[in-house]
Amino acid sequence: MIDAHYFWTIIVCLALGTISIRISIIAVSGRIQISERARELFSYIPAAILPAFFAPAVFYHQGQVSWLLGRERLFVLLLAILVCLKTRSTVVTIVFGIVALYSIAHLTGG
Amino acid sequence: MKKNNYFGMGFKLMVPITTGIIPFGAVVGTLCSEAKFNFVQTVGMNIFVYAGAAQLAAIDLMTKQAVIMVVVVTGLVINLRFLLYSAAMAPFLKKSSLLEKFIAAHLLTDQSYAVMSANHDKLPTAKDAVKFYFGASLCMILVWQLSVLAGFTFGNFAPPSWGLDFGVPISFVALVLPTLKNRKYVVVALFSATVSILLYTVPMRLGLIVTATLSIILAMFLTRKKVL
Repeated sequence: MIDAHYFWTIIVCLALGTISIRISIIAVSGRIQISERARELFSYIPAAILPAFFAPAVFYHQGQVSWLLGRERLFVLLLAILVCLKTRSTVVTIVFGIVALYSIAHLTGG
Repeated sequence: MKKNNYFGMGFKLMVPITTGIIPFGAVVGTLCSEAKFNFVQTVGMNIFVYAGAAQLAAIDLMTKQAVIMVVVVTGLVINLRFLLYSAAMAPFLKKSSLLEKFIAAHLLTDQSYAVMSANHDKLPTAKDAVKFYFGASLCMILVWQLSVLAGFTFGNFAPPSWGLDFGVPISFVALVLPTLKNRKYVVVALFSATVSILLYTVPMRLGLIVTATLSIILAMFLTRKKVL
């Protein structure tokens, strides 16, 4: 069980911060213009932060599949990148990733 | 479809798009149960925060007992993109009531923004556009909450050997790749991946925020100078 005070402090701060961001420009609509430059930089936010979640988690993960030196997650992630680029589908990519990891870990004899 | 039923039109156009968030919501729900959140906490987070990518990051950090400030700042950095969506929605909501503005803002997601921007030329007036947006957003939030609840329930029974936690990195891959519109985005993403691997041992996962900051500085540099 997670500490309730820790959990709800985070949730309240996240909720208030997120609604502030979401309503910001809507609230002042008409009175302010976002520059093209700012728009361009905002579009880099996913590229700037999302890889920082999956890259180290997968890079340092020690698995059990000996023929991949325990690097089955890195291997499947690289394959999933190709699948995602090919199919452009979140569903297919996630299903592929989980099924491929399971298959490699359980069906190739580990 | 009834003529001028823009609410229904928005709802229907969102249906195919939401197929992409079902596994994503399921992953969030599964992780909520793996992190030992109770039902009220899981539902509370999903209703009050309602931002999948930030929630994934927050859940991940909370299970690692990261300090509160790091969890909140990380989540909000991820949600900074909503500033852009807020700007894109603003013209349609100019004449709406404060309550309508508040609800519309809370329902802003990557998907509702995307479906709105793809269809706004079919919506004659701002009022129609708002109806369309609310229809699309209702569909989105229903599918999201149901997916999370399914994941939450299912996750309670899923053995760890299934490797469902791998859905986190995989979800982020599926979220980030479509945003890499040209080589500059790819360079920023590769830079972020590399720096985050190098900074992984920095305490309290502060490496994450340092990585994001450095990556955005790189993006500023890349878009200022025409080096690529």
